[in-house]
Amino acid sequence: MLQAVLQAIVNGIVSGTLLAIPALGFSAMFAVLRFPNFAIGALATIGAYAAWVVNVQWGWSIPLSLAVAFVVAGAVGVGVEFAALERLGSGGALVKAIGSLAMAMVLENVVRFIFGNDVQAYNLPLARDMVFGPVRIGPEDLTNLAFAVAIMAAIWAFMSFSTLGRCMRAVADNADLARLKGVNPRLIALVTVAVGCGLAGIGGTLIGLSTSIDPLVGGRILLSVFAAAVLGGLGSIAGAVAGAFVIGIVEELTVLAISPAYRLAVGFVVILIVLTFRPSGLLGSKAS
Amino acid sequence: MTDFSRRQILAAGIATMGTLAMPGVLRAQTGPIKLGTLTPLTGAGGAYGPRMVTVVKAVADEINHAGGVLGRELVIISEDDQTNPEAGLRAARKLIDVDQVSAIMGTWASSVTTAVAPVCWQSGVFLATVSGADSITLLPHQGFLIRTQPNTTLQGRKFGEFALSVGARHVAFVTPQTPFTDSQYESMSKAIAAAGGTTSKLVYDDKKTTLRTEVDQVLRGKPDAIVMGGYTTDTAVLVRDLYRADYKGSLLGFGYAVNKQLVDALPPDVSEGIYTISPSAAEGSTGFKRVTELLGGQSPDTYSCQIYDHINLIVMAMAAGKGTTGTVIKDYIRSVAQDGGERAESALQGLKIISAGRKVDYNGASGPCDFNEVGDITDAKFRYEQVKGGAIKLLKIA
Repeated sequence: MLQAVLQAIVNGIVSGTLLAIPALGFSAMFAVLRFPNFAIGALATIGAYAAWVVNVQWGWSIPLSLAVAFVVAGAVGVGVEFAALERLGSGGALVKAIGSLAMAMVLENVVRFIFGNDVQAYNLPLARDMVFGPVRIGPEDLTNLAFAVAIMAAIWAFMSFSTLGRCMRAVADNADLARLKGVNPRLIALVTVAVGCGLAGIGGTLIGLSTSIDPLVGGRILLSVFAAAVLGGLGSIAGAVAGAFVIGIVEELTVLAISPAYRLAVGFVVILIVLTFRPSGLLGSKAS
Repeated sequence: MTDFSRRQILAAGIATMGTLAMPGVLRAQTGPIKLGTLTPLTGAGGAYGPRMVTVVKAVADEINHAGGVLGRELVIISEDDQTNPEAGLRAARKLIDVDQVSAIMGTWASSVTTAVAPVCWQSGVFLATVSGADSITLLPHQGFLIRTQPNTTLQGRKFGEFALSVGARHVAFVTPQTPFTDSQYESMSKAIAAAGGTTSKLVYDDKKTTLRTEVDQVLRGKPDAIVMGGYTTDTAVLVRDLYRADYKGSLLGFGYAVNKQLVDALPPDVSEGIYTISPSAAEGSTGFKRVTELLGGQSPDTYSCQIYDHINLIVMAMAAGKGTTGTVIKDYIRSVAQDGGERAESALQGLKIISAGRKVDYNGASGPCDFNEVGDITDAKFRYEQVKGGAIKLLKIA
């Protein structure tokens, strides 16, 4: 039994890593734009397909494909924000959230129109798991883990040390005060969308690398990503990562304890419990 | 001067409106006959729906070219059920309420058919489906439903028998929750238990990105064969995770999940050796050859063949019953499908026989198309295949 629990925790960390990157993007966008951008599921799909095109059809390497996923998903995300969501700004957060859901459907169908419904896979051989004592883990899961950690470190460094990152945090903290200091909140908002959606694109690609891709690949993880961001504290970047790992591990442990069919329900029960005791999430600051 | 009472004015008004409405009713009897297809153009069944629609439209064109049905043109209205019960129900309502179709053809996922069927029988619209769940024909459909797909009890038994034939003694059924999960597992278990074997079942969430913990759970029972009950997308995840976990036993899947798409999406060594079982179309029949032509030479899947039979049967039932409503189709469909008569393999042949006043017995692209009283087919063959070197190879049809 102990071995099963250990293995489930390892599996949870692996799936938590896959959730962490899009959850991070989702939370960063919420911090600056103050609305949940539900188009990230579809943007994860777009990133995954962009990476698939350059990897399978053009023969580019996986790291380069991840970079393409970031750029394409980020660009499409900015396009969506610029063309549709920004115009809904006067309607408030709820209208923008609904607008983002609508855009998600549009984007998903565009992908379907271009690439069809077929399941696709990256040009990556599948290896048997490596066994370390009582647990086993796949070599590509370790690579994905390394990619995800490197990306999270890069985002942390960007937010902490670059001027743009500091501006983003300033706008998230207090947009009016930031404007007085000469920061252009609209530009910062667009940069945040580019980074957030780009991260969703990378997340979609990482999921595709460990499974396969189809037009619903991003849509399937949307609820778990949302759950991770809420659990960690909407707007908190470290919280999103912590939330993703908690959701990932809880979902895997559910399989051992009760039927896997209750995975999402258990995830939301955990959110309910955490938010009852910490209304602003695991690492979120007090809601203003 | 004559005074009219309010009641007289009301009566006169109703009479006038009734008269005005008459040409409309007459027009409805002489206008085109509308039939709907409700197939998955997107979602898990998205690989099959578009081809099914192509087949139906081509058959309708052919019939219209030859003069239509009862002298009227056939119009096909195509909707997407998105392999999703809510979307399917919305689309069915549109087909019934707005387009006023007499019949709906081709619902694929059992969950969609289960959602759509009550609306059909309540509105007097005939439903022809390719879904397999046993529960579907047990619905109180009053005869407004037939299916050309063998039910899941029969399919489950075939899986059990085949698992035994490849030497399995303990078989695990790993599946997402579907309307046929329980009936299939039960009949598979019965077949295996009869030969002294054992079974176990694990239901997973098909939206998970990894099924590692589920795989660990299943492998702890040391099964020597695993029957996979999912659709293509989640089966791809399951097969990959089984490979990673170094599972060496037999893998069996449904033909609609372990298809060319899945095999293409997996490295050849990962998909190597997977067995698939699927209801077989009547290969070699005239109908099967015709569907191949309609699809531009591609080898047709069983669903394209089944929907080809749906439209042919419905058209012939309308001609035999000299009416175009769902009720006429319900009352006459068996009279053109079975119980002897002159053999027809397409609606065009059948319409000629009917207009000559003789009885038709249709034999289609999917099989003999004979139905019992609840709407299940009475005879079906299965196709056993295996993935070898990245391609699906036929083992036998039995």
